[in-house]
Formats: sequence, structure tokens, C-alpha cells
Amino acid sequence: MASASVIDVGRPVARPRSLFSRLRGGLQGTEYAWAIAFCIPYVGVFIAFVIFPVFYGLWLGHSPSLYIELFHDPIYQQTIVNTILYLAIGVNVKMFFALLLSGFFMRKGWWVKGLLMVYVLPWAVPALPTFISIHWMLNTQWGLVNNVLWDMFGIDGPGWLDTSRWLALGSVITTYIWKNMPFWTVILLAGRMAIPQELYEAAEVDGATGIRRFIHVSFPLLANLYLVCTLLSTIFTLGDFNTANFISGGGPALSTHVLATLGIRDAFEIARPQLGVAAVLSSLPLMIPLVVILMHKLRTSDVQL
Amino acid sequence: MTQITRRTVLRNSLAVAAVGSLARPFIANAAAKTATVWWTQGFVPEEDAAFKKVVEDYQKQSGNIIDYSLIPFAPLMQKIVSAITSSDVPDLISHDINDAVLVPQNAWDDKIVDATDVIEAQKDKLHPTILLGTQYYNNVSKKRGTYLIPFKTACVPLHIWSSLVEKAGFKVADAPKTWDAFWDFFKPMQPKLRETIRNVYAMGLQCTTTGPADGNNMFNQFLIANGGNSIITKDGKPHLDDPTVKEAVIKSLSYISKAYKDGYIPSGALSWNDADDNNAFHSKLFIADFDGTISTEVAIKDQAERDDVTTMGLTNGNDGKPMPAQLGIGGAFIPKGAKNIDVAKDFMKFLIQPTVINDYLKNGLGRWIPPYPDVVKNDSWWFADPHRKPYTTEALVDPTVPGYPVFNPGWAEVNAQQVWGAAEASIIRDGTEPKAAAEAAFKKIEAILAKYPIVQS
Amino acid sequence: MSATTIQTRRPPNYRRRKWAVEAAALLLGVVIAIWTLAPIYNMVMVALESHNDVFSTNIFPADPSAYSFWIVFTEGYWYLEYFWHQYENSLYIGFWTVFLTLWVGSMVSYSIGRMRIRHGWLLTNAALLTYLVPAAFLAIPFYRMMQTYGLGNNVWSIIAVEVTFATPYAIFIFQQYGRSIPLELDEAARIDGASPIQVYFKIYLPLMAPALVAVGTYALLLAWNEYLYQFLLLSNKRSMTVPVALAQFLNSDESPWNYMMATAIVYAIPPVVIYYMFRGRMTAGLTMGGVKG
Repeated sequence: MASASVIDVGRPVARPRSLFSRLRGGLQGTEYAWAIAFCIPYVGVFIAFVIFPVFYGLWLGHSPSLYIELFHDPIYQQTIVNTILYLAIGVNVKMFFALLLSGFFMRKGWWVKGLLMVYVLPWAVPALPTFISIHWMLNTQWGLVNNVLWDMFGIDGPGWLDTSRWLALGSVITTYIWKNMPFWTVILLAGRMAIPQELYEAAEVDGATGIRRFIHVSFPLLANLYLVCTLLSTIFTLGDFNTANFISGGGPALSTHVLATLGIRDAFEIARPQLGVAAVLSSLPLMIPLVVILMHKLRTSDVQL
Repeated sequence: MTQITRRTVLRNSLAVAAVGSLARPFIANAAAKTATVWWTQGFVPEEDAAFKKVVEDYQKQSGNIIDYSLIPFAPLMQKIVSAITSSDVPDLISHDINDAVLVPQNAWDDKIVDATDVIEAQKDKLHPTILLGTQYYNNVSKKRGTYLIPFKTACVPLHIWSSLVEKAGFKVADAPKTWDAFWDFFKPMQPKLRETIRNVYAMGLQCTTTGPADGNNMFNQFLIANGGNSIITKDGKPHLDDPTVKEAVIKSLSYISKAYKDGYIPSGALSWNDADDNNAFHSKLFIADFDGTISTEVAIKDQAERDDVTTMGLTNGNDGKPMPAQLGIGGAFIPKGAKNIDVAKDFMKFLIQPTVINDYLKNGLGRWIPPYPDVVKNDSWWFADPHRKPYTTEALVDPTVPGYPVFNPGWAEVNAQQVWGAAEASIIRDGTEPKAAAEAAFKKIEAILAKYPIVQS
Repeated sequence: MSATTIQTRRPPNYRRRKWAVEAAALLLGVVIAIWTLAPIYNMVMVALESHNDVFSTNIFPADPSAYSFWIVFTEGYWYLEYFWHQYENSLYIGFWTVFLTLWVGSMVSYSIGRMRIRHGWLLTNAALLTYLVPAAFLAIPFYRMMQTYGLGNNVWSIIAVEVTFATPYAIFIFQQYGRSIPLELDEAARIDGASPIQVYFKIYLPLMAPALVAVGTYALLLAWNEYLYQFLLLSNKRSMTVPVALAQFLNSDESPWNYMMATAIVYAIPPVVIYYMFRGRMTAGLTMGGVKG
């Protein structure tokens, strides 16, 4: 982003610039007015719909006693663990497979192209219908998964969402991966396709094929994109309410809540909005560094998203 | 045009005066005012139609306008919480679980308008349990007041699939008359039914931590059956140290968790929400359960299938003596900060008149019962249907107690935190001993109730 | 391989390994297909089943019938009473979310990226702050806000929410994509006497078309996937949207899963159709130039 402003028309070289004209970035007169005008809608949206709720939210959750109460609550402690697992496993497994599959989808062949079209369905189909469908699939008595296990293998499938925290959490994470992997696969695929073919050919000449080609050519070039995607995905996932809510509902026995769902539960089921907001704000120590790093990365490197 | 004579004018003006004086109790003032009202959407369309009719009647009579929103159960809860938090409230709020969840805390915080004058005219007709159930404690004025305007009531009956009982070779009439023995009755039926049906369980006890009501209702009844009803008395003081209460809690937790561990309860019960157990019942996943209102029966469209369900009132407690049922009180409240308190009060005064409310609830297929025993006893409709009869009897004839949140608002949070469900879960999943789980539950309850010191009962 | 490239030495069993790799790839493809389609199949299967069949252990519908779809189309069920109106609401929200996100986002990107307003980066970073406290957390503040702005129970409250959350991402995509369009084009137009707004309409927007499509689709899917805010801010049957109505089924006393799945499928059709229509443009919009480390 380092190129000099090209709209610097009419700026004499030696004259010291006043503060005002420095702020304007060298835009003159009506041009400047236009530039401001173009920004106003978003600034308006931002102030009205971001600044106010964020500050109101911070105000709702400012009392330290809320946090003390939270930290002593075993449900909250479980929720923190769940959220961390959700992020660590969910995001990383998803991105890893997205990376691998992006390589897979580079293959030639009509059936690969057809498969790609099918593969992105989870992203195109809205969340609610699919989550409800998956929730029903996992029903112990009547769900498709256990029906298949029984009809085809004679196995009495376990209660996926019923008793075990880990099975339920695993189901939530698997659903999350199912829903979000296609999106990131496409992004990484786009990134791969942007790698010039000559590099691959040169590598092949040097004898690098398959895995070695991946390690020495593709991955270094994708690394930055991969990192940015992971950061962005982590931020999105931290706020993910739908998946946990519709797949496990926080069950069994409140053991698979994540911060987003716990916040809503505390706010509305326990009818203590401040506690709910506090639960959610407690993720800020993780959020802020992520956002800062992301902002930094996006400014200093040319990563195409 | 008929001839206008002095006589007709006199006659007509007399008529107008008569109507005016009769109608005066319900006309707040001549100018038409509007009140915003949030009302729970019914579980069946008839309930909503009945409400609309009441509103129309009121509007005609009073000239006021009721700007109502019929909002489904769960979103309504969210809306109410948000509204009260942001102090931007409607004039009248009715939610099916106002009595257990919304009124206790908000009355404590002095966020509700006292409605003693609203129920004054009907006070004597109210069932004593219900009248008791309207008196919530206000921590600012340090005394109890009428913060809930009751207009309907419900209780929790037993529901049994007769065909499953018979298929297993038993008869419903043989069911024992004491609580634990009643539930044990279904246990031997399970292996017999499993010979032909793959997915069937003896009982659908809701040992869940997802609310809002089923898990608590179920546990509380076990508690009462085991003699623990004095866990909190009507002055709001908890009696957690009472050995009878402790014993009752441990016994209840043991029975429920053992039934689950022995496989008599569907495994999903740990996570059931208020709809899941009904769905499980409809799919005949289990033989018997204990669930609020007769909505499960009412929802069955097919007459033959509906006849297959036996609705029963409570058995006796484990000591052989009759035990009280918990009474849910459906009511409305007027939040402080409402802009049209008079109209709201006026509308409620209209609604809770015995004839009006009786018609309203009957049109709503009788899921809820009027709070006036005499009205109900004089109307055979409430005892006509084989499902409705035990339900109404349990609610208004047999002994009842109001819910614990009336006595102490902290209990609303105890309910919301699903303390008992969590205890059951820890016994079932973590292998905690019932005694230890009971201790943990008591600790939690003590911590919550400590936030609500009631000075004067 | 053309004759001018250097022949690489082929390892022995080259053909066989190639077939093995191809077979493995095919197997992987099948796994991916099953993985992807299972929940979708479940939706379709349940939608075609009768009520009793839903509560059975069949893998294929015993007696498939389109009855559930008929119920949905004719609004023949209590919770589906206003289905088409709610569908309209969803479409309305989708459309305006897309339009406003594209409009607001492109204008800001233009100002920051093309006109190079000084300290424009402040605005892009501030935009990113929107994601700092994610959507699920601001439920109550938003509710309060919408009441204050007089938008209670109004679909515009949802549109406002969606636009707020879609625009930062839009700004980034536009920024990145805009880098591949040379600034000289703008300059040339300016020198020819075009005003900024003309440059915006005649040069910027047309060249940004793939990015616009990509972001538009993203915004549409965001609005279509949204549940929490619609649930909280729209409580009236007439103002509700389909996801809220769908979730209501879950709270009802009986759950007609077949109707639910039929409703879900009907709801899912528009975004899927739109996605497939614009797939090509979308990929182009997401790729441009090289990836530099």
C-alpha cells in the first residue's frame, strides 16, 4: 500500500503543507467533498449500528462481580474448554482439510468439476435447515445415522447427543466442519490457481512431484493466505451461535455450550442479560490479539481473500 | 324511519343510561386509549382465536384499543427480558410462565405495578392456592403485593398409553396408588414390549437440564411425594437443613437416576426440551410420563389414538397419604414504565370476569383452567371429557400448592439454573453418589437464595 | 507435453501408479460426495415421509409422497400460516442486504482505495472492529437500539444488522480486488474531465463486477443463514422470516418433521440457485493477481 498518492495534482513540492491539507491527503476541493460523501453512508452505519451496541454491551458487562461469578461456575469452566476445543480442533482441522481438498480439486477431469459443484452445497444451503436436519440425523432412536448403522451393520448406534459430552461436542465440531469447509476450500483453491503454472513446471523439471511439490512450491506461496484465513475463521467461529445451538443445544446437561450459546442462555433463560454479556465479553482477551494480528497481516502483505 | 315520539326518546335514553351504568365498571374513560399488550401465542390455533374474540369484545365495550402481539413462547421470553432490561416496555405482558420465571425477580426489583385493585372484585372467587400464588415479595417496599394477575391455571397430570400397557399384559386400573410404586409398575412392561418393539421405554421422566419447566416440575413432585414439600415455606425461608427434606431430596434423586441408569428412561431425556418429551410421547417412545397440562392429548388429531391415552391425577405420596399437586398460575403483569396502566388494568378486569374467562379458556380447547373453582364446578364441560376431568380435578378440587418461586424469588433462579437436572446429570454421567449430588445442589441453592434475603413474610 | 519440453524420467510402474492414484482419487471423491450429501439426503428423505415413517428406522422412505410439500405450498398447517409472507420477508431482506452492502461497501472502497483519502485505513480497520465482538453477543443492545430507532418488529432492523456485518468483509474484498485495476485508468478518465462519481459508475463498478458478484452472493448467504437476530428482533407472525418460523416447529407440542424438512427445502432453494448461477463470477472475484508472501 506504499505507492504515492497519484491524485496529488497541484501540490507544489517545497511549500510546507498545512495540517488541513495534510489531512485531506492532497485532494482538492470538490474531489475531497466527493471522497467524504462516498464514506458517509458507511460511517453512518458504523456509528449507528456498531459503536452504540458495542459500548452498550460493554457497559452492560462492566461489573467485575459478574466475571468473578462466571469463573466460579463449573458450567462456565466447561464452556471455556469447549470453546477452546471448538476453535482449536474445528478451525484447524477444517482449514487443513480445506487445504488438502483444494489440491484435490485442482485435478483434471469432468467428474472433479462436477464434484466441486456438489461439494459447495453445504455453504450454499442455509444453516438452519441443514442443522435441523443433522440434529434429526443424530437422534438416537429415529435418526438416519443410527438407522444406517442398524440396518446395514446391525449395530445399535450410541446416543450421539444424549449422554456423552464428547460425542455431542464432536458432533457439533463435525457439523461445523461440514458446513464451513467448502467455503475455505474455494478460497484456497482460488489461491492455488493464482500460482503461475511456470513455477510448477520448473519444479517438475527439478524432479519434485506430488508431496515434495506441495511442500516446496504450493505451501510457501499459500502460507500467508492460509494464515489469514485461519485468523479470520477463528474470529468468525468464536461468535458462532447457530451450530452449537441447533445441533446439541448445549446439552447434555449444559456440557457442550460455547461462549456464544452460554451468553444467550444466561441472558434469556436465566433472565440475567448482564451475565450473558459478561460471558461473551470474556472472550475479548482472545479476540483482541487475533483481530490486531489480522489487521496487521492484511495491511502489510498483499493477500487476496 | 320509525316515528319518533317522546315515549321512544325516553325509552331509548333510559336504555342508554342502563347500558352505560352497567358497563361503567369497564369503561375507564370516554376517550379511546390504546394499550400495547404482549400475549403468548397458543399451542393450537383455537387459543389465539379465543383471545382475539375477547379483545374484540373488550374493545366494543370499552372503546379502548388493544394493540396486541401474539408471540410464540420462546421468542416472547427473549423479548420480555430485553424489554425490561432496556426499560422499553409494553403495557401488559402475559407469558405462560410468568409466575415461575418473570414475576418473581421483577417483583423483587420493584419493576411491576401492584395490581391489588384489579383482582379485588374477583378475589373471593379465586382458589386459595391461586390467591396465595399472586403475592410476590417486593424488596424495595419490603412486603408482599399482588404482582401477578391470574386468569388461568394448570397442573401436571400423568399420561399413559393404555394400548402399550395392555400389550405388555397389564391393566392400567391395576396401577399402584403410591408414587414410587406407580412408576415401578411400568418397569416390567419394558422387556415384554421389547420383544416386538425395538424402541420403547417404561417411563419418560424428564431428567433434563434444558428448560424451562419439565425437569423442575417432575423433580418437585418426587420431592413432595417423599415428604420434602417443606423445602421452602410460604414465608420464603428455605429449610435445607431439615433432615426430612434432605432425605426426600436424596430419595428422589436416587430413584430418578437409577431408573435412567437401569435403562427405563430414553437416553435422550438428559437433553429434552419442553417439546422433545411431548414428541417422544407422541411417537410412543415410552409408556407413561408426567407432563404439564393435557396439551399432549389435545394435540392428537385422531380420536381413536386420543382415546388410547389415559390421563390421571396424582397418586398418593410414598407415605400413602394424598399429596398436593403443584399449581401453575397463568397470569399477566403490568411492568413499571408502562404508558397506559389504566387501560391495561381495565382490560384485565374485563378478562378475569368469570364468564369471560370461562368462555375464553373453553374456546381454547381447555388447555388451561379458569382459576375459579365454583365456576368450573358449575360447568360440566370441564368434567365431560375423560382427559379433562382428571386434569381439572387435580387442579381445582384436590389439594394443591403454588410454585416455590412465589415464596422466594431466588427459587426462580434455582429453577432456571436447573439445579436438580444438573444433580441428576452428575449422578448419571459422572457417577456421583446421590448424597453428594444432593449436597452440591443444596450448596448451589443456598448461594442463590442468599442473594434474596426476605425480611418480612 | 509438447516436444520441446524436457522428457522427465518416468519411474517404473508409472502406468500402474497412475491408475492407483486415480482410483484413490475416485474413492476420495465418493467419500466427499457421501459426506456432503448425507444431511441433504436426510432433509429430502424426511420431507417425503409420512409422519409415522419419520419415527421409524427406515433409511429410504417407505412410501414417498410429496404431501408435505403440498402442505407447505398451501400453508395448510398452523405454523405455516403465513409461510409465503414470511418467505417474502426473507427475500426482501436478502435483496436489500445485498444491494446496500454492495452500495455502501463499494463507495467506501472507492473513496479509500481509489481516491486515496488520507487515513482511509483508519476506516477499514475500524470496520474490522465490527468483528471484534461478534454478532451473537450484541443481541440485547441491538434490540434496545432498534426500539429507539423505531424499527421494532420491522424487517429493516434485520437489514441494518446484516449490512453492518457484511460490509467490513465487502470492503476488504473490494480493496484487494481493486488493486488489480490500475489507477491510471482513473487518472485518464479524470484528465478527460470526468467527475469522481462518473469514474465510480463508468469505470470502477464495471471493472469490479466479479468482486461485486462475489460479495453480493456472500451477503445474500449471510442474510439467509442468519437466525439469532431474526429470532430476537422479529416476533410477529407477519414480520417473521422463515428461519424463525422453522425454529418454532422445534418448540411446538408435536413435531411434524416432514413438514419442517419440506419447509427447509423450499427455503433453501433461492440461495442455492443464485450460488450456482454466479459460481463462475464468484471464483473470479475471489482471485486476482498473484499471491505474494
